[in-house]
Amino acid sequence: MKLPILPTTVIGSYSMPEWLERAKNDYLSRRLSRRDLDEMHDAVRKAAIKDQEAAGIDIVTDGELQRDNMIDYFTERLPGVNVDLGSKRFYYDFYETQVRSKLATGSLGLTEEVRFLRKYSDHPAKISVSGPHTLVKRIRNNFYPGEPEFALDLGRALNFELKELARAGATELQIDEPYYSGFPEDLPWAVKAINAAVDGVDAHVTLHICYGNRYGKPSFEGSYRYLFPTILDAKVHALSLEFARRGEEDIQLFKEFKAPFMLGLGVIDVKTQEIEPPALVADRIRRALEIVPAERLVINPDCGCVHLPRDVAFNKLAAMVEGTKMVRAELGK
Amino acid sequence: MIVHINHLSLKGKSAKKSPLGELTSLVTGKLVDLVEDGQLDARLAPSLRIHLDWIQYKTNFRDPVIVRRTTDASGRSLALAEVAIDLRQCQAEMLPQQLADAARLISPNAVGDGRFYLTEYRPFRDCIIWDFNRLFWRHLGEWEAASGRGFEAALPSGSSDANRPDAVKESVEEFWSLLKDLETKNQLPPELPILEIGVGAGTRAAAFIDLFQEYDAQRGTSYYDKLQFILGDYSPDTLARACASLGRHKSHIVPAPLDALNPFKALPQYRFKVLYVHLTNVYDNLPFDDLIRRDGKLYLVEVRAYFSAASVATLQADFGLGPADIPSAMKTLLAGGPHAVFPGDEEKGVAFWRAFWDCFKLEERLRALDDRDESHVPPGLTWAHLQDLLDEAPEDVRFHISRGAAESFANTLPLLHPRGYLQVQDIFVEDMDEYRKGFKGPGKLDGSLVVWVNGALLRAVSARAGYDVHFRPFTYRPGSKTSVMYTTQKP
Repeated sequence: MKLPILPTTVIGSYSMPEWLERAKNDYLSRRLSRRDLDEMHDAVRKAAIKDQEAAGIDIVTDGELQRDNMIDYFTERLPGVNVDLGSKRFYYDFYETQVRSKLATGSLGLTEEVRFLRKYSDHPAKISVSGPHTLVKRIRNNFYPGEPEFALDLGRALNFELKELARAGATELQIDEPYYSGFPEDLPWAVKAINAAVDGVDAHVTLHICYGNRYGKPSFEGSYRYLFPTILDAKVHALSLEFARRGEEDIQLFKEFKAPFMLGLGVIDVKTQEIEPPALVADRIRRALEIVPAERLVINPDCGCVHLPRDVAFNKLAAMVEGTKMVRAELGK
Repeated sequence: MIVHINHLSLKGKSAKKSPLGELTSLVTGKLVDLVEDGQLDARLAPSLRIHLDWIQYKTNFRDPVIVRRTTDASGRSLALAEVAIDLRQCQAEMLPQQLADAARLISPNAVGDGRFYLTEYRPFRDCIIWDFNRLFWRHLGEWEAASGRGFEAALPSGSSDANRPDAVKESVEEFWSLLKDLETKNQLPPELPILEIGVGAGTRAAAFIDLFQEYDAQRGTSYYDKLQFILGDYSPDTLARACASLGRHKSHIVPAPLDALNPFKALPQYRFKVLYVHLTNVYDNLPFDDLIRRDGKLYLVEVRAYFSAASVATLQADFGLGPADIPSAMKTLLAGGPHAVFPGDEEKGVAFWRAFWDCFKLEERLRALDDRDESHVPPGLTWAHLQDLLDEAPEDVRFHISRGAAESFANTLPLLHPRGYLQVQDIFVEDMDEYRKGFKGPGKLDGSLVVWVNGALLRAVSARAGYDVHFRPFTYRPGSKTSVMYTTQKP
């Protein structure tokens, strides 16, 4: 499927049903089997894909509803990370984790997501992974000399997985780094870790940097100015940033610095249940077009839709697509 | 018979012996007598629960001995019944007769002798006590004039904890430290909003801003210039008075008429921006419900207001109002205030109000809850929140659903900046087990209500919203039962 100008996509997660939250908690307290939970996960992933397609999204994901959160899904799979499985009762909380020896190299098993998406959708599909900086901030380090070294090795471990994903047919990959905004001083080594992760990966890689969306609220505040110019060294194809909630002021940074990336433009605020009118979405895109050419823009929400009710998530995505179509029409595309 | 001792004061061997043991013996002995005499159905006795309480509020809504009957969710009577005795009010010589009267009331169709009912059964949240609470705050001046003392004199400390200088000083230091930390990380917002909900006369706000300005100047920072102090209160008059008292900081004051139940609704422009929210003694004056868990089942406490025959006689003698006149007098009082009851004689109207409030009591019954009946879950919460709470609760327990506090809390969190914090000074039940160890309200405090806030519920609400809650004692006044609840974003 050929992508249109101003392609639309999601950041990754789709609306988490309350019944699935209960089921995940039941699984943790051993009242539900892994098999039953997996069946539920498959059902909601299919529904998430179909909802995105029905809303008109061009590049879809599986909704990531099989993931408890953006940390545990990876720490449980990373060889060498010790996870205390008794350390949480609520699925969305984080496990206590630590690293006590050098991380081994091995598959994280995410290629299943590629196969699943290929099986149930003919749209271009995207797989997201949590970035090394984010993981470093949540795993207690009892081995590496410091965070930079730990992050670099995580970059190496993730590199193996990203290559596996590309080999399995993934063409769109995304690395999520919401913690940059809370620790701007880490950026120099965090970018090196990203570059280790994407080295030699044969796919289009987007780096998503937001202000956090845990429990549907920001974890940090500030301006994206801290990213520049260091971020220009990141060897990724696109940056995906949040603008809808925070305003578009920071887009000017793309004028001030000659950014070599495409821009994933956040036009939907995922921290409110109000549905943006398509005209507002179109306005946001038009303002971005004053700085970034259409060929280098991708349209997406600020972050994942996991905390939105399903009808709200669907209607927001549909409004995003509608607003994008209005601008495409103006561009004659 | 199952005896629940809901209050125990461990005094040690040398201290004066408490009457608890004696009274407990008297209660159980008398109840056995009543069974043997055939005055209490022997079939009910094995499952009859006896609750021994100690109600700390001198004026409250309970008679010394009460009976709680039970219904199913649709209101049909069930066999379960409870007798509750307030050991503080009861007198040994009166107790046998009171227990005999209670035994008669256990029968599903029994009606209290000579009682005059003001309302039907309804949950606490819909009870007329809230109409009287609102009346009190609307006509505080008249009440204070009649009682000859200010409302704050009724508080345990004789003044509001909100204004204690050492507490304000610590708040200022804490807030300044947060700003300094944000500045160090280059994350200081362009505006620095603080929200106070329930502003009183503006005394605390004034003390805070004065001290903050001084502190800021001493340290050479310029945070005061960016400070926005939002005064939030439902009463425009109160807001106007508070603003007037803060004239010297006028350019930093933002008056915000708001309902404490939903601060976010009035201040959506401050979403994720407020760095510090403060409340003192607001949550303990918001609607609540009581739930009871017995034998694994949940019951909602419903109440109906009544006057005893003696109280009816007093009202008639003092105010010339017979039983037939009482409902319309109450309606007039609640709608028009005390001066409307006896036009032209405001003093008599206030006296009537005070007598009325002093005399009326609440009869209780337990209504079984339909599993998953969401109507009893406070707005913004789900059964999952209650389930979290019940998971940590003792098996047999009576506890508050502080629905007003939970609603207010849930609707305040979206205002908080990621590094912001919510600080509440109030009387909290911090742990569900505490409910077994003492009476937690409601009580009467002058003409208003006081009820402890279920802090464990707020903790459950915050956990699901991504916040941590912790409590610490209010150390600024020795012997204080107040706690300070801190809410911050989960790391």
